[in-house]
Amino acid sequence: MGAGETQVKVWDVPVRLFHWLLVLLFAFMFFSGKSGSEWIEWHMRAGYAVLALVLFRILWGFAGSTHARFTSFLAAPSACIECMKHLLARKPSPYPGHNPLGGWMVLVLLLALLVQTGTGLFANDDLLSNGPLYDLISKATSDQLTMIHIWNFNLLLLLAGAHLIAVLYHAAFMKENLIGAMFTGVKRLPADAAGGVVARFASPWLALVLLAVTALAVYLIVKRPF
Amino acid sequence: MRTKLLAAAVAVAALGGASLEALAQTKPDVMVAQRQAVMKLQGKYLGPIGAMMKGAAPYNADVVALNATFLENLARMPWDGFDPSTKGEKSKAKPEVFTDTAKFKAAADTLEAETAKLGAAARAKNEAGVRAAFGGVAKACGSCHDGFREK
Ligand code: HEC
Ligand code: HEM
Repeated sequence: MGAGETQVKVWDVPVRLFHWLLVLLFAFMFFSGKSGSEWIEWHMRAGYAVLALVLFRILWGFAGSTHARFTSFLAAPSACIECMKHLLARKPSPYPGHNPLGGWMVLVLLLALLVQTGTGLFANDDLLSNGPLYDLISKATSDQLTMIHIWNFNLLLLLAGAHLIAVLYHAAFMKENLIGAMFTGVKRLPADAAGGVVARFASPWLALVLLAVTALAVYLIVKRPF
Repeated sequence: MRTKLLAAAVAVAALGGASLEALAQTKPDVMVAQRQAVMKLQGKYLGPIGAMMKGAAPYNADVVALNATFLENLARMPWDGFDPSTKGEKSKAKPEVFTDTAKFKAAADTLEAETAKLGAAARAKNEAGVRAAFGGVAKACGSCHDGFREK
């Protein structure tokens, strides 16, 4: 640790678990989606888990710990331009949570994942596997949503790639270990980086309750018992 | 008189031949529409059996026997529609259909064989046999689509 640096806990357990579970599930969604009919049933099951997780993360963005909240990381355009300048000059400008560009990226990624899972619910494979909401719409509409499902996945790959490159850029040129922080929750920061903001950590029990709520919502969407 | 009759017979034969020729020359876009229609009908008769296999609908041996028999017959119909003349038509058939013909033919034969098994079990009202054969049919549809059909 350099002089004047402190270890600060920034990411709570729900954010970290969400992140790495999503990485694993995304890899599986990629594999199972592209492997054709043999894996489609598992693709759909894992997709429900992704949907529940993404919905949870959105709720956590309102009710979670300081650095998990949208209000804490969706910054004004001026801050984004400032951040961009620092990045291009490779001038370290550590933020306790997401930097302004990264914050918007979180929102874009979550929205793209919502589009992906949402269209999946209505998709069909012209064989035996239909999304659970296929029955509600016409075949032609389902075909269109299936095409969006396929093309939005390419967008997701692009976004995930950009996300990865950004994190590696931070590691290579700014000496910031963002990946480690997503495992441990702890960042090494200059003593003044937080600007006096003290992070508040929400109860993990609240996270469990919210996850239960989103899991139940997904269950109801899939089974439609009413 | 004889020669006139003979001439008439030749003319009729020629005409008949010509009309047969014309029938054989189905327009490529029509062939595409027809093979797609057969595929759709296969889906129509496979779907309800699939729902029963998943437990989404109660098992009905009569419906299974009827559907499986239709399917067995339909499974022989699409293939002459993948004629080389249809190569340039708008369709979801991948180019491999026309380049990797041996493999495509094998996939078609597999479907015919699997639907024959399903049909036999279904007409014998052998539910266990139907359950055993169904997976093979679904796999035959799916693996050909994976290799030969555009998304
Ligand atoms: C040997 C390969 C092969 C097999 C086996 C096969 N298909 Fe197809 N299927 C295709 C191809 C190629 C297309 C695309 C045809 C086109 O667009 O011209 C297609 C298209 C379809 C379509 C879409 C038709 C449309 O245009 O809307 C359906 C539905 C379909 N198949 C159902 C089935 C079902 C059900 C089975 C099994 C019972 C099956 N297929 C077996 C090759 C196959
Ligand atoms: C983040 C979540 C998801 C990802 C990353 C994802 C990704 C993919 C990919 C890559 C494909 C293959 C597209 C191609 O052929 O090129 C696919 C197909 C498909 N997905 Fe998803 N998917 C997700 C969620 C879902 C959900 C929630 C469902 C529904 C329950 C679903 C249902 C389907 C279906 C039915 C297909 C087959 C479409 C076809 O064969 O034409 N997906 N998905």
